[in-house]
Amino acid sequence: MNLPTTLSDLRVHGEHLLQFQVLGSTALRVQRLRNERKLGALRMGPDDVLAPPPRALARMQELMSRHYLEGRYANGVRKVAWVTSGAPWEPLEALGFFPVYPENHAALCGVRRRAEANCEEAEAHGYSRDLCSYARTDIGTVLSGETPVGRLPRPDLLVCCNNICQTVLYWYEVLAHHFDCPLVVIDTPFLYGEAQEHQVAYVRRQFDEELVPTAERVAGRTLDERELVRVMLEARDASQLWREVLDRSRHRPAPMTAFDGFLLMGPIVNLRGRRATTEFYRDLLAELDARVERGVGAVAHERYRVAWDNLPIWYRLSKLSKLLAGRGVNVVASTYTYAWGELAPLMDPTDPLGSGARVYLHPILNRSTGHKLEAMRTMVEGFSLDGVILHSDRSCKPYSLGQIDQRDQIVDTLGVPALLLEADHNDPRAWSEEQSVNRIEAFIEMLETAAS
Amino acid sequence: MHDTIPSRSGALAVAREQGRAIVAVLPYHYPRALLRAHRCHPIEVWGPPFEPGDLGALHFQAYTCGIVVKATSFLVREGFDRVDAVLVPHGCDALQGMGSVLGDFVAPTPPVLTFYPPRRARPADRAYLVEEIRALGRRLAEVSGHTPDEADWAEALAAEEAADAALADLYHRRGRLDVDDRRFYEVVRAREYLTAEDFTALAASLPEHDGAPDADGDVGLLLSGIVAEPLDLFDRLRAMGARVVADDLATGWRRVYPPSTLADPYERLADRLLAAPPDPTLGAPLDARAGLLVERLRASGARGLLIYDVTFCEPELFAVPVLRERVTAAGFGVLHVEHELGTTLPNQTLTRIEAFVETLR
Amino acid sequence: MTVAALGIDAGSTTCKAVAVDADGHSVGWRLESALPRVEAQTDALLVALALELGAADGVPVVATGYGRKLVRAATRDVTEITCHARGVFADLGTGGTLVDIGGQDAKVIRIDERGRPVDFAMNDKCAAGTGRFLEYTADRLHVPLDDLGPRSLAAPRAEHISSTCTVFAESEIVSLIAQGADVDEILLGLHRSLVSRIVAMVRGVGLTPPLLLSGGVARNDAIRELLGRETGQPVRLPSAPQLMGAYGAALLALELTR
Repeated sequence: MNLPTTLSDLRVHGEHLLQFQVLGSTALRVQRLRNERKLGALRMGPDDVLAPPPRALARMQELMSRHYLEGRYANGVRKVAWVTSGAPWEPLEALGFFPVYPENHAALCGVRRRAEANCEEAEAHGYSRDLCSYARTDIGTVLSGETPVGRLPRPDLLVCCNNICQTVLYWYEVLAHHFDCPLVVIDTPFLYGEAQEHQVAYVRRQFDEELVPTAERVAGRTLDERELVRVMLEARDASQLWREVLDRSRHRPAPMTAFDGFLLMGPIVNLRGRRATTEFYRDLLAELDARVERGVGAVAHERYRVAWDNLPIWYRLSKLSKLLAGRGVNVVASTYTYAWGELAPLMDPTDPLGSGARVYLHPILNRSTGHKLEAMRTMVEGFSLDGVILHSDRSCKPYSLGQIDQRDQIVDTLGVPALLLEADHNDPRAWSEEQSVNRIEAFIEMLETAAS
Repeated sequence: MHDTIPSRSGALAVAREQGRAIVAVLPYHYPRALLRAHRCHPIEVWGPPFEPGDLGALHFQAYTCGIVVKATSFLVREGFDRVDAVLVPHGCDALQGMGSVLGDFVAPTPPVLTFYPPRRARPADRAYLVEEIRALGRRLAEVSGHTPDEADWAEALAAEEAADAALADLYHRRGRLDVDDRRFYEVVRAREYLTAEDFTALAASLPEHDGAPDADGDVGLLLSGIVAEPLDLFDRLRAMGARVVADDLATGWRRVYPPSTLADPYERLADRLLAAPPDPTLGAPLDARAGLLVERLRASGARGLLIYDVTFCEPELFAVPVLRERVTAAGFGVLHVEHELGTTLPNQTLTRIEAFVETLR
Repeated sequence: MTVAALGIDAGSTTCKAVAVDADGHSVGWRLESALPRVEAQTDALLVALALELGAADGVPVVATGYGRKLVRAATRDVTEITCHARGVFADLGTGGTLVDIGGQDAKVIRIDERGRPVDFAMNDKCAAGTGRFLEYTADRLHVPLDDLGPRSLAAPRAEHISSTCTVFAESEIVSLIAQGADVDEILLGLHRSLVSRIVAMVRGVGLTPPLLLSGGVARNDAIRELLGRETGQPVRLPSAPQLMGAYGAALLALELTR
């Protein structure tokens, strides 16, 4: 934390202390305790198609609300970095930055039905409707200041890593233009096959020559190696725990759905490297273990198990979840939630930046379309799946291009039904309720046929 | 002056006769002299616009860039049978998908090579790019069976740099050339497939005006975008009383790479690529790009900026609002239109362009 | 002639009902243009058909099509994918690859040797591959719907329509007209562009012969002809291409009685 030096600094720090650390955090803790009690008391009714969500959801909501609350008072107290979801966060955490993930914020807008208005704001400023809806939501927020979290703190630093898409490269240029603050680009060559040494060396060099020096300059202090090791250790443990959480759904019935996962992944994305995050996933895992032990499934009558490929459809999460659960379909795995767990084995706390170069080259989105098919094939086998839903996401080209072949291969070589579902992760205007529900129902009829 | 410019098929036959392996190259930044040194000849695939795209639609969703869909279609239909390798540079997410799907799923007989240029021009990017070019060279050697020696390099660099200089010279002499815009771009775009020496000769053959150019009454435009197809666009512009006085096209000025003085061939190729005019697919900072566009508008005597984008082109579309803001503030008109790569210009697009030209008069 | 089951297909363009006897043979049908009030229309249609054929009360009804959830008399609702597969299979006595081009959707369904759908594909929202698209452009060019096929087939060559989006395609047509292009050649170009989208979907799902065609657009000769040419497969049509969804639904309703 920066120390206050002027009177106005003192006011800013005072607000942070009072509104966030004292009042807000206390209120959120009370709310969480109440929610935990409520969730704990919920029992599944005879007509319910879904079990109550894990109690840990209350803790997740507290963590995320606390985070966005702190964000309101962060400027002037902590240095703020806006970063992409695949950005190498650990050095920034070790330097005390406060993180804002515009993609997560955009998803939040999507879930709260605020994305459309923000997209329209961006479109009114000339941003084409064909651009990524996360980017439009975020740019709309920046232009209008409208956000369901009250206020987003202004960035002191932008860090853009293109290991998830090239979109972020252009999007962050727009942010840099708007905020006039330093932008660090970490360029991660797409891996058509295995990573080559010059690619790894390239990423490492950018950590050493761009990320760390720029972040140190903005933070006004030097990176403490021991702190970095500690952060990396927490990040690895939390990623490992997250992976285990997801793997619990290999059990039949699965104790969790991928729709739960889409919400519960908040801390591993946004608050990676903190003790509280690691503890949260440890508790969640224990809760799921208890469910497995008692044979409790997340879906009342789990008859079919399927995987979800690509981003969630944020504005339809609960409707889709109920539609599927109502027909006995549990979405037990997803390539998307797995992305924040599968790289844990590559993380080496004794060599944070060296191993980090490999970690940040290897997200599923930076790997070939053939690799993604392999990942789905492994899921079909490991989770005993009956089918796969591939969300063909207009807004996410790198995730979606290749799905036509992947779908065909799943059907032809694995012999399970697979559905290509046209939608958009954050723009409800690209969603066609009639057509989509129709396709999902036809897909379920095929699962039923295949089982009969 | 050549009356007709040789076709891609013609250029392919010439290169074959010279004993070169033919490489179909997708858009659009790659080290051309590297191919020549390895006895390969690049023929670029930009669609083509008349290709129906049906075979490409087997692999890519309807919201995919038309260049990628049509190029995939074309390669599957006939292209793969005519080349020794395919090179897909990584320019954007659509080309990334194409390179990956071709390699992993379509798996044609000719090998699919990829090339990832860096998105900045820092020392780390330079070191990486040199290695990336070397890696591509190793793949090319497998295709042609030839590893270049010093003489090959000297010959390749001399020929390709002469052709690049001829391209730069075309832009330099643009105001004096006695050809219309359509002809000018036909020649510029012949760089996509002619051998270096044929292109150099073609560029040198363009006639110049005897006296002063007579197009003073025309509205000058700076044309930005990826590809100006169909070429009919230029005839239509002329009929509207407009002409293109400068461009920021991926198939034009963005490939006028400045010369380099470095001796090592790999470093020299990297040096030139990194010095390319500002281009979003190479990660050019947006503000710098906007600033340079304004300067070029002023220097060229253009009255307005026509941004002519292929649909679904994220690298281009993101920049439009900031370009508009900066260019408008500098006192120039701006029009942004999108087109699907094809052979017919939609009426609505033409009307919008014509109205724009009227406002600039 | 006893009505054993009813099927109703509340589609986006037309509303169809089919009655079958205990052996699964069609014994009567009705077809109307779709009205905005699906509940009222389907009620009335079913009542009229039942009265006409003297069907008893309590005959099972399966509903399909976009309005299937709104059919109050339905015992069950099932998607058109399953219904079309079932209907065409029963009518032609074979599985294969079924192309169904309806008003709002074009679908390709691979049907196994037991009449069950094993895979399917449907058109992209933004792709011009549906019956409505043809209807719309026929109207735009002032060509009666029934003349579309014959006039296209009579054209000596096709104009090239490259746009896949309906709006862009319309704009392209306007340009072609402005350039003095022949209407029939534009029509042939349009049919080609539609068929090429369908063939792409067929290839995606995989063509298991025979190639079957149903839906309202099956009445259009040019579509049938071009589809056969493009795939190199003879195209087989069921006896009543537009009724296959409702017929399949009736067959599924019949199964409910067993």
